[in-house]
Amino acid sequence: MITKLNFERIDEYVWQVPPSFRGDMRVPARLYASEDLLEDALQDESVKQLVNTATLPGIVKYAIAMPDIHQGYGFPIGGVVATKLPDGVISPGGVGYDINCGVRLLASRVRVDEIAPRLKDLATALYENCPSGVGSEGSVPLNAKQLDDVLERGSEWTLKHGYARREDLDRTEEFGRLGGADAAVVSKRAKERGKDQLGTLGAGNHFIEVDRVAEVFDANIAERLGIFLEQVVVQIHCGSRGLGHQVCTDYVNDFQRAVREYDIDLPDRELVCAPLNSPEGQAYFRAMSAAANYAFANRQILAHHIRRSFEQALAGHVRDCDLIQIYDIAHNMAKVEQHEIDGQPVKVCVHRKGATRAFGPGAAVLPDDLRDIGQPVLIPGSMGTASYVLIGTAGSMAQTFGSTCHGAGRVMSRAKAKREVRGETLRDELAARGIVVRAGSMPGLAEEAPQAYKDVSRVVEVVHRAGIGRQVARLEPIAVIKG
Amino acid sequence: MKRFEEIPHTADWSFRAFGKDLAELFENAAFALFALQGGLKCVGDGAKEATRRVEASGIDYESLLVNWLSELLYLQESHHEIYPRTQIDELSPTALRAQVFGTPYRQLDKLIKAVTYHNLKIEPTLGGWKAVVVVDV
Repeated sequence: MITKLNFERIDEYVWQVPPSFRGDMRVPARLYASEDLLEDALQDESVKQLVNTATLPGIVKYAIAMPDIHQGYGFPIGGVVATKLPDGVISPGGVGYDINCGVRLLASRVRVDEIAPRLKDLATALYENCPSGVGSEGSVPLNAKQLDDVLERGSEWTLKHGYARREDLDRTEEFGRLGGADAAVVSKRAKERGKDQLGTLGAGNHFIEVDRVAEVFDANIAERLGIFLEQVVVQIHCGSRGLGHQVCTDYVNDFQRAVREYDIDLPDRELVCAPLNSPEGQAYFRAMSAAANYAFANRQILAHHIRRSFEQALAGHVRDCDLIQIYDIAHNMAKVEQHEIDGQPVKVCVHRKGATRAFGPGAAVLPDDLRDIGQPVLIPGSMGTASYVLIGTAGSMAQTFGSTCHGAGRVMSRAKAKREVRGETLRDELAARGIVVRAGSMPGLAEEAPQAYKDVSRVVEVVHRAGIGRQVARLEPIAVIKG
Repeated sequence: MKRFEEIPHTADWSFRAFGKDLAELFENAAFALFALQGGLKCVGDGAKEATRRVEASGIDYESLLVNWLSELLYLQESHHEIYPRTQIDELSPTALRAQVFGTPYRQLDKLIKAVTYHNLKIEPTLGGWKAVVVVDV
C-alpha cells in the first residue's frame, strides 16, 4: 500500500517515490500533480503501477506519470518511460492495445454564431458520414496489397488516394508516417481485423466533437496556429481499431516467452518486454509502427469525412465551410528519440501510455513553420467539458522527455458510472446546455459521463505551472458524436 | 455457482470467473466477456447459431486463458458474432480445443478491445477454480 508518506516532494508539482521504497526499482518514480490530484491518484492502483514501471531494464532518469494518471493495466495511464538504447527494453503493454490512439484538431474559418442555426444538421451529417460504434465497418475497404500500403505509408497513402492535403501531413506528428513500419510482421489476424475498419471511429471513449474556442491564453501562439476566439473547431479522438488491438495482443503473448529468454524478472506479466535491439524487440517496433500508420490514416480519412460533412450541412449557409488542420498527435506510442541526459545527448525509446509528445521550440523534427514556437499539444477533456490546446516547452524537454498529459483521467469506474448515470438523462442535460449529442449506445454514453473524470482544467493547470506544456486556448463543446 | 462477477476498475474492466473445474472456468470466463459487452440480449432471438472450432495454446494456464479469450474477440470482430456459449473439449496446461457457438449481433453496449495479463491469476477455491481477468475497453 502506497501512501502520501512514501513520496518526497521535489517541487510544488513534482512528487517522487525513491528507489529505496521497493528493492526492484531501478530509478525513482515521479508523479506530476497538485496535492489534491495526488490524493486522487492514491485512490486506486495507479501509483503502484507507476512504481512497477520503474523496474523496467534500461530505464533512465525516472519513471514518470502525468497529473491525469489513472489505473490501467501494466503501465498506468499517463505513464512515460524512457529506456536507453541499444539494450534498453521496449514493452508492448507500455504502448497499450490502442496503438497510436490520438487526437486531431481541425479548424474552420467561421465563428460559432455563423453555424448555430445549422448545428443539428451538421451533427447529423457527421454521425452519418463517420462510421462509429461497435463492429462498424469502414468507408474504405482494402485489399491485401492496399492494406500493406496503408501500414507502411500511413497518411501518405491517404494523400495519394485523395483523402488528404499536403498541409495536413505537415501538421501531423511524424508527418503521418513512421518510417520503421513493416507490414510483414503484422499478423494475418491483425490484418483480417483491419481490412474493413479504415475510416471508423469505433466505440468507448472515442469521439468527434465540434467545439467553440472559448478562451485564448496566448494570443501570439494562437494566431500562429490559426486559432481565434469563438472559432468553430473539430476534434477527432480515435486510434488503430481492431488491427492495433490484435498487434498488441500478439506481441504481449510472444513476449511472455521472450522475458524468460532474456531473463527479465517483472512484477506484472503485462509489462513483458524485450531489448529493443533483439529480434523480438525489433519485430514489435516495426509492427507497432505499422499499426501507428494505420491510425494516422484512420484519423485522416475521418477528417476527410468531416470536411464532406461541413460542406453538406453548411455550403450556401456560411461564407466558408473549409477546415484546416491544426495538428494531430499520438498518445499511445513508443518512439526512438534523442534526449539530453546529464548534459549528453542519449538515444532512448520513449514509451508514452496515455501521454502526449510535447516538443519545445527548436526541435528538429517539427515542420519549418512551427519550429520556432514548439509543437501543438491537444488535450481532450471528458465529454461535455472543456478541452485545451497547449504548446510544447523547453521545460518538457528538460523534465519529461518532451512529454505532457493527454486528457482528464478517469476517477470513477465504468460500472459505477453506468449505475449512477443514465445515458438518456445525460444526453438531455447536455442538450439543455446547448450541446447536440449523436450517440449509438446510451449505456456507452453513460460510462463516459463527465463526473467519471477528473476536472481537465486542474490537470492542465498542473502541466502549465510545472512548465511541461503551456496553455494556448480552451475549447468548449457544441456537438458530440459517439459510437 | 455464480458464473462470474465484476470487479471495480477505474478505466477498464475486470471480472472474476468461477468454475467447478478448469474447463468450466474457461467457459465461464468466455461468458463474462460477452455478458460485459451487453451481448446477452442478442441471444435467443431465433437466430441460428454458427458452430466454430477453436484451438489455443500458451506457456501456462494463465496465458492459455488470455489466448483463448483473445481468440474469441478476434472471431467476434471477424464474423460479427458473439460466443456466450462455448464448450471446452480438451484442456491441458498449454493447449485447448473447443467448440464455440456464434450468435450474430447488431449493436453491443460496449466493445472489449483486448484481454490483458495484468493482475492475471487462476486459483483453486473450495468448490473448484476462480480466475481474475482485466480487459481493455
